[in-house]
Formats: sequence, structure tokens, C-alpha cells
Amino acid sequence: MRWRYIVYIVGALVMFLGFTMVVPLAFGLFYTDQSVRPLLKSMGMTIMAGGVLFLLFRKERTASLNQREGMAIVTVGWTAVGFFGALPFYFADGHWELVDAFFESVSGFTTTGASILANVEALPKGLLLWRSFIQWLGGMGIIVLSIAILPFLGVGGMQLYKAEVPSPVPDKLKPRIRDTAKILWKVYALFSFVQMVLLMLGGMTFFDALCHAFTTMPTGGFSTRNASVAHFDSAYMDFVIIFFMVLAGINFSLHYQLLRGRPLAFWKDRECRFFLGALLVLIAVVSWDVFSAQIYNSIGGAFRYAAFQVVSIVTTTGFATADYETWPALSQHILLACMFLGASAGSTGGGMKCLRIMLCFKYCYKELFSLVHPRAITTIKLGGQTVSEEIMRSVLGFLALYVGLFGLSTIVLAGFGVDFVTAFGAVAATIGNIGPGFGAVGPVENYALIPVPGKWLLIWCMLLGRLEIYTVLILLVPEFWHK
Amino acid sequence: MKVLIVGAGEVGYHIAGRLALENKEVVVIDRDADALRRVAENMDVQTINGSGSSPSVLMDAGIRQAEILLAVTNQDETNLVACLVADILSPSTKKLARIRGADFDPYHEMFREQVPHIDTVINPEIEVVKTIERLMRVPGAVDVGEFADGRIQFVGVNLEANARLAGVRLSDLPEIAGKQRLLIAAVVREDELIIPTGRDRLLPGDLVYFISEGKDLLGALSILDKHAEPVRRVMIIGGGRIGYRLAVQLEAQSIYCKMIEKNARRCAVLAERLNKTIVLHGDGSDQNLLNEENIGDIDVVVTLTNDEETNILSSLLATRLGARKAITKISKFSYLPLMTAIGIEQVVSPRLSAINTILQHIRRGKVLSAVALKGEQAEALEAVALETSDIVGKPLKKISFPKGAIVAGIIRGEEIIIPTGDTVIEPNDRTIIFAHRRAIPGIEKILAVKLEYF
Repeated sequence: MRWRYIVYIVGALVMFLGFTMVVPLAFGLFYTDQSVRPLLKSMGMTIMAGGVLFLLFRKERTASLNQREGMAIVTVGWTAVGFFGALPFYFADGHWELVDAFFESVSGFTTTGASILANVEALPKGLLLWRSFIQWLGGMGIIVLSIAILPFLGVGGMQLYKAEVPSPVPDKLKPRIRDTAKILWKVYALFSFVQMVLLMLGGMTFFDALCHAFTTMPTGGFSTRNASVAHFDSAYMDFVIIFFMVLAGINFSLHYQLLRGRPLAFWKDRECRFFLGALLVLIAVVSWDVFSAQIYNSIGGAFRYAAFQVVSIVTTTGFATADYETWPALSQHILLACMFLGASAGSTGGGMKCLRIMLCFKYCYKELFSLVHPRAITTIKLGGQTVSEEIMRSVLGFLALYVGLFGLSTIVLAGFGVDFVTAFGAVAATIGNIGPGFGAVGPVENYALIPVPGKWLLIWCMLLGRLEIYTVLILLVPEFWHK
Repeated sequence: MKVLIVGAGEVGYHIAGRLALENKEVVVIDRDADALRRVAENMDVQTINGSGSSPSVLMDAGIRQAEILLAVTNQDETNLVACLVADILSPSTKKLARIRGADFDPYHEMFREQVPHIDTVINPEIEVVKTIERLMRVPGAVDVGEFADGRIQFVGVNLEANARLAGVRLSDLPEIAGKQRLLIAAVVREDELIIPTGRDRLLPGDLVYFISEGKDLLGALSILDKHAEPVRRVMIIGGGRIGYRLAVQLEAQSIYCKMIEKNARRCAVLAERLNKTIVLHGDGSDQNLLNEENIGDIDVVVTLTNDEETNILSSLLATRLGARKAITKISKFSYLPLMTAIGIEQVVSPRLSAINTILQHIRRGKVLSAVALKGEQAEALEAVALETSDIVGKPLKKISFPKGAIVAGIIRGEEIIIPTGDTVIEPNDRTIIFAHRRAIPGIEKILAVKLEYF
């Protein structure tokens, strides 16, 4: 482990984050609100801190990175970015506790969308934009962005990319990692822009449209309004946002294929088919359930709210147009299950990912099959391609860790005095990077009332979920530190 | 520039690594997932698991956008078919294939002119035999290469502690060398390659690379205290394809030649085909056998078995028993840096020669040949100075040369010029450039025609 080199890269990342604060600052200056001073202060501190580390260790530059160092950089980098991203909140008026600012910031970068704010609308515009903007940075990955922009990350970039991209088998769209990162970010920015324009056509103000576009494509879920998307109460906007949430939940390499003129790629990809099929079935069941419970008078209305909520949770976005806690038990349980399902691998969504669930089912089926035919040699295939033992092992290990850590965190959170439903919902919603959970952290509530140690626990859960467990957890393995 | 490499073996791996470092788009295709993992983990390239001779795999890899296809699997047949398929899918892609079978030797030209239109057929074994012959001829040389069709040679020699030049500053060199023309282009010191300036001193233990005209070579070597001793007796250990080729060449030059081969059947075949060479059945690392065959009187021992370790041990044993010089074939690149340390100086590597041939075709501009120096840290290039390139028309000192590169020689018609800072390169001169690996992209830039940028 070359710690100095790791510090050097993390320094570069932090400095880079400091420069991105120009974006909210510009808005703050434009609206001349209370955000200018805290933003300027944090920007100065972030650039200084990053710059000092960057310059101090610049002699440590080497050509290559190994997997261990890649993982260490990503985890340390994300923690540092979460910390410096919290500064604008911490310096703002309104007596933010450090833990609250850190919670909000990590919730932003990990695209969770869990907030400790009861009154979002009271925030100055600059800070509201920063809140949405960090989700946008975190969605496609701040490290992937740095690989695309900062030239010196080129060589070791693959290790960093593997550690950050949420997928058991990261795709490389182009021979060079830099080109891959550039393409991903271009597709991502293009979709965000189109969504913003569509939202504005529906009558949203430029500021609200920009903020919501910044939080839809990364499946983030921060809104500029207290009532989330329900505030706008427009079927058009609901469907625009549903559409882009679904896009964000699909593997971005398929979007790239689409833009290159191969729309059939969506259909050929097994995972994408599974994802879209699951969405349709779940939407149908929940619509029928809320309609027959007479929560909505028309089938159309039931469909609109059910579709929004199911898509919002499955893609792990976490926008709300309805308080699903008033829905019947069946719908609530389906939504809870959706929190674990998650979006596609290689998308910006969180959760366990459809791909892993599919592989897990196939593996279970194979086990049963080999009980019937003990001497049969079988392989697990996906879309005609054999899935290697190694990938299968890592998938099963991931699922076991996910469930295990979920259970453990729930118990610990309950130990801090949080009630059962809330603890269950809060951990599921943070480890899956969704946002709103159940009970006291439901869609119309927030995380302010969770006790302080509970908040630290949930911050840890969010990072675990976003970086797909292994990258973070490996830092706790003693062998990792041995020379 | 996009390059497709079929085969992730030793050659494919190293070429991919070099090109990836030079920021080219590289795609590596292999059937072996483990070999690909080794590639993907160590360098920034794309890997595709599949057969390189399959059209669908080649299409997936983007053959249509590729400028160059390198077919370097272990099988000649796969390489040929890969080129054939590529020729159908994308005729404009340049194709290079490694084909080692001696049966194909007479057909290399035909492969180029007719289907599958392979632009360059690489047979590293032919190259290796040439290198071995050069190493035999040049006394004290650790590394020998040729430019301008053999008129200029570049030679690497180890500087002994008692040599005249040890400790001498390069700017003082002309006084000692007198009328001899000797240009020191590069020095390898403690595994680091230095492109020296006039202020640098030569130290004992340095590996010194210089270039010289063919006819002045022996004179140049005598300045470095390396004196010619004719080669009369050679022993070849290992009677494989390279060993056989070498023996045939040596017979033609009337050099007395003995060959040791382990496999009795192979011995019979060799004995049938070779006329004057004495073919011995036995183990090259058997001390008794070597003594019996008067190893002490042998001028050069060449170890060419397929087993790296046997080659190394046989060479060490032979020099210990009194052979004057040993040339060792090494294929595993990870062993190369160890060789000097264990006392083996002259090494040939078929894979390194394959890489050299491939490199010269990948270099932009009109590069005639390119040779990777020891340890692959640097290259020596021979290139034609094109009329509109940056290198032409200005005194050398005014050209913004990348750091770590030097113009070591200029060939203008019949004349060979050892350049100074005031020398001006004219269009169509051939230049010989030594460059550190870091400086290669910069060198490519100044050699390329400017039009390329518009």
C-alpha cells in the first residue's frame, strides 16, 4: 500500500470537488441569497485542503495502481468528498450539527436522498442547488468523472473504475478507460439535459427543472419542495420523471448502444428485460391493489400514483407523489421488497441489482436441478453466455453480505432506541440508496429524529450501498493492512 | 489509433502494454480467460474473450475501425485465418501475423500480394538467427542491431573497469577517439536508461550503446577495449527450429559446429539434414558430455532449448568450463533484468524480435525499423525525414525535441553524418533516433507529416 500516493489522488479529488462548488455559487450570486458566504468559505477550504495534499505528495505519482489501492482510494475518496461536500451546509445559517451536514452530504453523493431537513424550501437557492448537484456528481460517480477529466488518473483508472461502478462485471465500452468514462458522462449529461427541457415545457421553473433533472438521472431523490414531486401535482411531470427514472435504472452501456443506433440492445439484454418486466408486473399489482382499496377513485389515478411510487422505489430514486404508508398492506410489502430488488447493474440505481437477483435464482434452480440429476454437469448461462464460477461466487457473497449487514444494522439501530418498523425501513432505505423508508422515516417524514449514533450508522450504510459493500468492507479486513 | 491484438501470450501482452502506455486504443482477443484477466488487470485495454479467427468476435472488437491487426497467437493457422477473416471484413486494416513454420518461409511474399494480404509476416526465428550471427561477429557486444540495410550498426557493450573510457566525460570523447567516429547514444546504468549529454561521464559497469558505420566498427570497438577474435568453433545446445537454422547458416560460413540435442529422434532428423555439423545425443547441462566434447576450446556456445532454465544453466556451466562466450535464448521477459546479475550477458529472445518487427510497423511517419533496447525502456528508430515534418529544415538544437531522445545519426545518400546541434536535417534523409519510452509519442509527432493534424 502506497499511502502517500493514495493521499495524493484523494487530494486531487477534493480539490476537484472544490472547483465544482462554482456551480452553486453562481446561482447563489445570481439570486443574492444567504448561500454565498458559506459556499465561498467551503470552496476556499476545500480547494486549499485538496491542493495542499495534492502538492505535498505530488512526487509520489506512479504509473500503476493495484486493486487494493484502487479500493482504498475510492473509499477514502468518497468519505473525504462526503465530508467536504458537507461544509456548505455546516457553515450555513440554521445551526446545522456536523453529523446532520455530513448525513445530508453523504446522502447526496450516494444518491440516497434521505434528508434530515423538515423544511427544505427554507434553504437558500444556492444550497438547494448544491444539494441536487452533489447527487448528480455522485450518481455516475465522482471518480468516473475525474477519470474522464483529470489526465493523470488514466493509467490506474481501471482499478478505480472497477471499485466505483455498481456492477459485478463492469463493462468497458471503449478500449481506453478514459474514453469509457467520457462516454458514460456524456450520455448521462445528455439525458439530464433533455429531462430538464421536458420539465420546463411542463411549466416548471428553470431552477426547479434543473434541480429535479440533477436528482432524477442519478436516481437520487432530493427535491426542492417539502412535498417532493407531489408539490407540482401534474400528471405530465409525473410521467416525465417516471420515464427518466426508468432510463436511469437501465445499464448505461445499453443507452450507449441506443445512441449508436442499436435500439434492439434493450430487448436483447436479459437483465433489462427482467427489469422492465418486473416493473410492469409490480405496477399492475400495486395499481389494482390501491384501486380496489378505494384510495384513488379512478383507475387512471391509481395507475399514476402506483407507477410513480413503484418506479421511484425500484430504481432507488425515492421521489414521492403519495404517502404509501396509507396504502394497503400488500402494496406496502411490495414496496418494501422493491427496496431490496434495486435497478440494473451498471445503472445509477442502488439496491441488490436485478442482475444479481437473476443469477441467484438461476443458481438456486441449478442446485435443485442437480438434486434431480446428481451427475449432470450444468453451467449457469445468461443470454447465452456462461457465467463464470468466480462471478457467481462474488454475487452470492454480495447477497449474503447485503442481507447480513442489513440485519446487523437493523439490530444496532433498534439498540439506539428506534422502533422496529422505522429501524427496518431506515436501514433498507439507506443501504439500498433509496431515501424514504417506513415508519418515522416514511415518505412524508425525515431522518431528523434518528439519534446521533444512528445517523452515523446510516451514513455508513449509505456508503456501503453505493460502493457495493466489498469496496468499503475490505478496509475492515485485517489482511488488507498487512504489508 | 486503434489496434487489435489476437493472442494474449507473451508477445501480445507486451505489445499491448507498450501501446496502452502510448495512449493508443488497444483491444486484446484471446480464448483463454485467465490470460485476458492478466492483461485487463495490468493495463488500460479492452479484452474480448473469444477466438480471434471468428468473424463475429472480430466485428465485436471493432475491426472496421482498427488501423492495425496483430495476429500473434501460438498457432500459425489461427493467425492466418484471423488475417483472412479480417481481410474480408475490413480490407483497409493493416495486418501483421506471426508465422513461424519454416514451410511457410517461401510464401511470405505471396501472402502479401494475394489473399489474405498480410502486410508483414513476422518470423521471429529468422530474426533471432540473424541476431545470433551478429552477436558472434561483434566482439564484446551484448546487443547488436542494424540500420540502413546494415551500413550502420548500433552496438551495446559493457564497459569494463580497466577500459580506457571508464570515467571519461562524453565531451572529451573526440580527443581519445581521434579520427574514429563514435557516437554514444544511450547508457544503461543500474537498469535505468540514460540518454547522455556532453557533461555525463561513462562509469565502469555501464552498458554503452553506440552507433558506427559497418566498416569502422572494429576500430570503434577497440576504443572501448573490445578486440576481435575470430569465431571458429561453435556449440549449439538444443536442436529445435532455431538451432537447425543457425547450424545451416554456420555450415555455409565453414564454421566448425557441434550440436547437442536431447531427443534421439530429433537427432536422427538433424543428422540427416545437416552435412558437416556433429550432432550429439545428450543433455546440454551434462558436465561430462561437455568436457568430453572439449568445451574449453569452443569459441561460442549458443543455448537454444525450449526450456529457459536449462538454457541459463547450460550457458553458465559452459562458460565456467572454459567456453569463451555464451549466447542464451530467453523467452520469459521477467528473466531479462536478472541476466546481467547472474553473469549472462548475451541474450536473444524470439519474442523480443517479434516485438521489434511489430513496433516498426506501428510507428507513425515513415519509420523503417525500430528496435527495443535491453529491458524495453528505450527504442532505436530509423525513420525517413518527411518534407513537411517538424524535424526538417531547422538546426537540431532549435527543434523542440522531447526529453530523453537523441538523433544519433543521419544518412544522406552515401554519406553518414554524426550530427551536432547545428546540423540541419534535409528532406528524405534517414535519421536514427534513440528515444526513451516516455519520449516516443513526442518523437512520433515530430516525424509525422503536419497535414495529419488538419
